[in-house]
Amino acid sequence: MTNMKKMIPTTLLMLAVCMISFTQGYETLESEYRSNGSLMHGLLERPKQSLSQFSAVIYSGRKEIAYGIVVEETGYVITKASEVTESSDLKLRIGATQYDPVQIVATDPAWDVCLLKTDATGLKVVHFADNGQVEQGTWVVTNGATTRRERWPQLGIISANAREIRAEGGAVLGIEIKEEKSGLEIGEIPEKSGAYRAGLRKGDKIIKIADQKITKRDDVAEIMKDRRVGEKITVVYLRKGKQVTAEVELMGRADTFGAQQTRNDTMSGDYSKRRSGFPRVLQHDVQGNRATVGGPLLDLEGRCIGMNIARANRAESFAIPVEELRDVISRLLTQAMKNKADATVAPR
Amino acid sequence: MKTLLLVFFLGLLSLAFAQDQPSDPKRLPVNDKKVPAGVEDMLAIEAALKSVLPAARNATVCLELGQGSGSGVIISADGLILTAAHVAGGVAKDITAILADGRKIKCESLGLNSETDSAMVKILGKGPFPFVEVDKSDRTRLGDWVFSLGHSGGYDKDRGAGVRLGRLVKVADSTSQSDCTLIGGDSGGPLFDMAGRLIGIHSRVGTNLQQNMHVPIREFVRHWDDLVAGKFIGEGPFAEKPKKGTGFLGVGTEDSGDGKIRVTKIGRESVAETAGLKVGDFIVAIDGKKLKDKEVMQKCLKDKAADEKITILLMREGKEKEITLRLGAR
Repeated sequence: MTNMKKMIPTTLLMLAVCMISFTQGYETLESEYRSNGSLMHGLLERPKQSLSQFSAVIYSGRKEIAYGIVVEETGYVITKASEVTESSDLKLRIGATQYDPVQIVATDPAWDVCLLKTDATGLKVVHFADNGQVEQGTWVVTNGATTRRERWPQLGIISANAREIRAEGGAVLGIEIKEEKSGLEIGEIPEKSGAYRAGLRKGDKIIKIADQKITKRDDVAEIMKDRRVGEKITVVYLRKGKQVTAEVELMGRADTFGAQQTRNDTMSGDYSKRRSGFPRVLQHDVQGNRATVGGPLLDLEGRCIGMNIARANRAESFAIPVEELRDVISRLLTQAMKNKADATVAPR
Repeated sequence: MKTLLLVFFLGLLSLAFAQDQPSDPKRLPVNDKKVPAGVEDMLAIEAALKSVLPAARNATVCLELGQGSGSGVIISADGLILTAAHVAGGVAKDITAILADGRKIKCESLGLNSETDSAMVKILGKGPFPFVEVDKSDRTRLGDWVFSLGHSGGYDKDRGAGVRLGRLVKVADSTSQSDCTLIGGDSGGPLFDMAGRLIGIHSRVGTNLQQNMHVPIREFVRHWDDLVAGKFIGEGPFAEKPKKGTGFLGVGTEDSGDGKIRVTKIGRESVAETAGLKVGDFIVAIDGKKLKDKEVMQKCLKDKAADEKITILLMREGKEKEITLRLGAR
């Protein structure tokens, strides 16, 4: 497919990644006085309390892989889906208590949020702010370092307009299409793509997408234009002469096929694997890495104004605003209850 | 050793003070305490930032040239821009500025300092443009709260220039470091004090998130007139000096005897062709310098570099005509 979104030039004029300076005398600010030094963190009593009450640390084995937010006192926690779905031995910690085992019980692919369940009772649940209409320049707090007993805060500000982050390269089915004499045939199809997961395979012939007949590759590009990640599209294909219908969930192009590292990526440390294709986010400047995502975004009072959903690069982090987050949570809980009910009544 | 260096530095600093105007003793209240005493003090910092942010953002521009982009900040109503030398790329370069509201405007770079990474650019369009005040009296000190703006990764209208808040964590005479995290595309963007006065220009980063380096405004002040006059200062790493003798006009000429140089050939796809020179034109002068014969003209062109702008005075059909062009590469 050819409708690549306009890419940011890889040769942005940049900050030279080198340290030509301070060869002469200089004055330095002691680390405890810096924006995220211990003295600043000492002022964040309330957010710190919130973090210890309703943020969760998610582990794969003994490795911290993400944070989460407690949404139900009976052991329901949300986190960033793409950071945890590939782990088989999930554990979590709330306050000083560890919980094990942990299951993924529902997922929202559009927002990249999943719902975890562990055996617990009487947990303190997230305390939401009235709204996520936070002005630029407002202080925000996220999960910083963590120990077995304590959660430390990390400080920053809201740094840009709340907005949609379109999927890098657009939303795709995740198939390479070849124009053969006999029709449109699937070439490469990555195993993690929506198409593969829906059952499509290499060599299948595509007849219809979203109820529209297709005869050439450009038709596909036209149908896929302006689609969103998480959207479901019906694909009709031919395999061994038989017509099959599948429902394919769209993913971002970069998330499906991989993306080339840009120069800015190389100076960004460990950023989130999935960092685009979100319907609306708040942007903040809290420093972190891919494992510090998934927990709450707090105001100075310790109220939750959003959920950290991506460390995009060195200077930009994204959070789901509280309004949308509440909807995501209620959908996930409903889905989990339904799955549970289905499982109970399923014939054995 | 460190103490010695420090003494050296402080000596320089006081010298700078003696030369400049007496500095304003008034410091911003948000910097009174070495660390905020409580949430109330933090909210005062937040309030200061919010009150000056819209004006600061309106004056922050994205600068595009070639296939890359950086940032800059407008400091006068008629469109003088401060940026980094490695963004301007050279003297008298064509640059496009994208204003906060998305307007694209043609600019040309003025002077630069290749050693400290400072440069000026001038908007060619008609103002007035939104601009910020420059803190020429050099009031900012180590530990002061500061904020940075820049078009990280290029211009994005939906996002706007991203703002980051931090403190000045390291200061030396010609460089300062803050904990406002910068990334590619921020280069040349502004660093402000909490009153919204310009105190530095983003230059470079280290791999460590703490290493975000800015050129202090005093560096610009020191060379102000030369920068305005379009001088290429120093032989540092941030801009490459144009090499003399690499420029190419693309005309064949002959001396016509009476002190005139006649154009006999125009190279195909040469800059001369693009600029509209014609066979039969007489070349009278280059950049205001009268040329008495072909040899003098060649000598004059030998002093020029590729991409350098020159103005040629012609006689065509008995009338004087001026053509300005950028030399091609030899």
